[in-house]
Amino acid sequence: MTRDPTAVTRVLFEDFAPAAIAAFYVIAFAAVTVFCFGVYVEVRKYRRGSAADMDGRLLARLQAMIGTVLSHRTIAHRDRAAGAAHRLIFYGFVLLFLGTATITLDYDILGPLFGVHFWQGAFYLWFSLVLDVAGVLLTGGLLYMMYRRGWLKPPKLDYARPDRQPGDADYDRSGYRREDWAFLWTLLVIVATGYLLEAARLVWLEATPDVWAYRWWSPAGAALAEGLRAAGMSAASGGVLRTGLWWFHGLLALLFIALIPFTKVKHILTAAGSLMLRDPLAAQRLPRVPEQQQRAGAQYITDFSWKQLLSLDACTKCGRCHEVCPARAVGAPLSPRDVILSLREFANRTLESATLPAQAELDVHGKGPGQVTMETLWSCRTCMACVEVCPVAIEHVPVIVQMRRQLVEAGQMDPQLKKTLQTIHKTGNSFGEGKRKRAAWTKALPFAVKDARKEPVDVLWFVGDYASFDPRNQKVTQGLAWLLQEAGVDFGILYEGESNAGNDVRRVGEEGLYEVLATSNIESLSAASFKTIVTTDPHSYNTIRNEYPDFGGRYEIEHYTTLLLRLLQEGRLRIAHPLGLRVTFHDPCHLGRFNKGYDAPREILRLLGCELIEMGRCRANSFCCGAGGGRIWMPDPVGLDRPAHNRMREAAAIPGLQVYVVSCPKDLTMFEDALKATGNEGRFVVRELIELVREARGQRQADRQ
Amino acid sequence: MKLLVAVKRVAALDEDFEIRADGRDVHADFLLRDLNEWDDYSLEEAMKIKEAGAAPVEVVVVCVAAEEADESLRKCLAKGADRAIRVWDEAIEGSDSIAVARLLAAVARREKPDMLFAGVQSSDHAFASTGIATAAFLDWPHAAVLTHLAYTAGGKSAVFRRELEGGVLHEMQIECPAVLTIQLGINTPRYASLRSIKQAAAKPIEVLSLEDLNVAPGHVGERGSLSRVRRMYVPDKGRAEMIEGSVEEQAARLAHIIRELAGSAS
Repeated sequence: MTRDPTAVTRVLFEDFAPAAIAAFYVIAFAAVTVFCFGVYVEVRKYRRGSAADMDGRLLARLQAMIGTVLSHRTIAHRDRAAGAAHRLIFYGFVLLFLGTATITLDYDILGPLFGVHFWQGAFYLWFSLVLDVAGVLLTGGLLYMMYRRGWLKPPKLDYARPDRQPGDADYDRSGYRREDWAFLWTLLVIVATGYLLEAARLVWLEATPDVWAYRWWSPAGAALAEGLRAAGMSAASGGVLRTGLWWFHGLLALLFIALIPFTKVKHILTAAGSLMLRDPLAAQRLPRVPEQQQRAGAQYITDFSWKQLLSLDACTKCGRCHEVCPARAVGAPLSPRDVILSLREFANRTLESATLPAQAELDVHGKGPGQVTMETLWSCRTCMACVEVCPVAIEHVPVIVQMRRQLVEAGQMDPQLKKTLQTIHKTGNSFGEGKRKRAAWTKALPFAVKDARKEPVDVLWFVGDYASFDPRNQKVTQGLAWLLQEAGVDFGILYEGESNAGNDVRRVGEEGLYEVLATSNIESLSAASFKTIVTTDPHSYNTIRNEYPDFGGRYEIEHYTTLLLRLLQEGRLRIAHPLGLRVTFHDPCHLGRFNKGYDAPREILRLLGCELIEMGRCRANSFCCGAGGGRIWMPDPVGLDRPAHNRMREAAAIPGLQVYVVSCPKDLTMFEDALKATGNEGRFVVRELIELVREARGQRQADRQ
Repeated sequence: MKLLVAVKRVAALDEDFEIRADGRDVHADFLLRDLNEWDDYSLEEAMKIKEAGAAPVEVVVVCVAAEEADESLRKCLAKGADRAIRVWDEAIEGSDSIAVARLLAAVARREKPDMLFAGVQSSDHAFASTGIATAAFLDWPHAAVLTHLAYTAGGKSAVFRRELEGGVLHEMQIECPAVLTIQLGINTPRYASLRSIKQAAAKPIEVLSLEDLNVAPGHVGERGSLSRVRRMYVPDKGRAEMIEGSVEEQAARLAHIIRELAGSAS
């Protein structure tokens, strides 16, 4: 039997009275109007932010965003189950959305305008099958998410705020929880009624061969229809059910569309926008303060750029930043998620109205609802864990540092930090030592270290404050000098021409002082003749590599780990005694997460004959020692745990661990303290990688023990 | 109303310093310069009165120094001072604290402030006399080493506290205009961000000469001073020895030293 293929389709509005069809179109247009109004309000909100420093590579950004969204790379990152479930929801939703759009194209555009219809025959049948499968994907994803929220209950989803006390006006987050569930249930009900509607239509049209004969192209609907028939449903009651469900399903879907800009559903737009506007160096290279900018940082919500305001709306409260934050982990009053949500709530309250409120009402600093306290801001280590893990490219670190810049202007900071900043301004280093003392560590060496200000060198060693002045670190610094000397590297230092590199000063938010330090170092570096820069300090490494170019200082710089690895591989340094130690390696934030220097230190450890046992949190997921973002200049609150202690306990869980290897001067200081404080002294030791290289060459430092 | 705050750019010693060839001061290359710590507190005290807002207050900082001190004055302007005055003339070089006080008094006569604040002392020379000598030249009432001050802008008098021996507090009242010297810890000085210091560069610093102040060159500098530096030197180091080793070894070494010293004394 051959049928007319054009008859194989779904007749839209079958048996509907013209008034009903008209009513539907009125409601649909109303829904779209509400949606558009919502989008307008949100766009107006973003436009009330300040200008964003953007490059023009829109097409490349669009491509990158589409790639990220389609692959779900960032959502599956370190949470595969959530990534898989979201992938089901995403693809199910996108297919169903495209399906609806296809029908609109056929019925409302091509049909009326050109008399062309394609939604029929074989295309229609495949379409039916694909959409039925899409519904199953969506349902599966939604059910897993419900299981996750309802039964697995990961702590990151409980929305508990470390920065507020119960009873505070904005402590209660139950509204978010209700919204989460409403979102899941609404989608689930739309899908479920879609299937039922399909089944009811099949029962209703069981006598129409062009429908009934092809029912298994909609397998889920057909199975349901068989069930309804088995339960005794007649064609007539199928028709009644179909009409009722048609309206219910249709109106719910329209309601969903109308509410997109007003609910968390908006993330389907804002997350895409945020991903597209991502700055790959958001934490590594902080924004400059333009000369004409009125304020140093963010005092009012409108001081954030429109891009930042948009990204606040991208947050889906997944809690990953909350989970990885070292400050949050030790009970400090900071959760990156809550900073973002606070600011979002603040922006919604103040910037969504038709007129902009008075400036005093736009102040984001304080203890009121939606405001961020200075205790919260000063808890941040700028370790970038939040930025790295965020699936929707929210850039917390620049947001926090921009707010800190205002705290610095107002002098709202820890007295010790204030003193340190003044000291750095006065002496150029955080130790308050005279400039002449910077190279005092060289006096213990039997050979002279070249003065790179006076003679050309191949490698200019930017030593940094901790490596120059801290007595424990000086031994490591001397160790590297020995290694470079033995490998025949032509190197020199800047002596008193070097100042604090400014990385942490900048992350504190003292941008003016940073500019002074960067400019002074660039001046010294420009006057010297060298090929590359090397440093043991990942903080100096980061700012010279990523931030000095903004101030005219473009240099080739590497961390000592890559230089040493090369010297070892080229045979310029030889290993005399493989160490055979059981070690673990701590990735410094500024070397690892910031600059992806994960492999060189590990390769060196392998060459030294060490057995490397990784901690659970390693490489991009490394856990900050707690010293970053200027925290090393602030006392830790009494009674709280410390990130370094937390980390030591993690390392101590490795059976038979002998050495906890670090490759950052601040890490050495932080973890040697933490080793003692956590009672692990005697169980294993903390060593700089340089010390292990020296030891493997048979150069055990006499004063090491 | 007006508050005049006298400040000084002090010197701190760098590592391995050298004494100047004439033997009367440290070589300038080895000095780190900064605003006197006490002056941070006296400026802050003035700013607190200004910001309390009881009446419009003009805070004027004054410094007797050569041009390099502008950097410190700008720091004061960055912290909120309205104006800065720097008094300088070649003839002023070599002035002692009394000669400096003579100049400050001349500035005070010109500015007619309701109150003059100074730090208790400067961290480099530590005479603790400039503020009080200024009061003497002005014939104003004065009080030294304040640890608490209650003064409302526009008020005819101020109430303050000083710490005496044995934890006894001395609460006093003083008529304006007066000279008050401010002790460390009386408040928490604010932070002057580098940005604000940079922006303060736009505020002018008024430079006054001896003629502007009607002070004769003979009344300042070494000629106008009643004291002069004879020499500056590092005394020969006394003997000190760190005793290390076990308790027994330390005790033995200590006993040995005592016997040695006792022997040399007898």
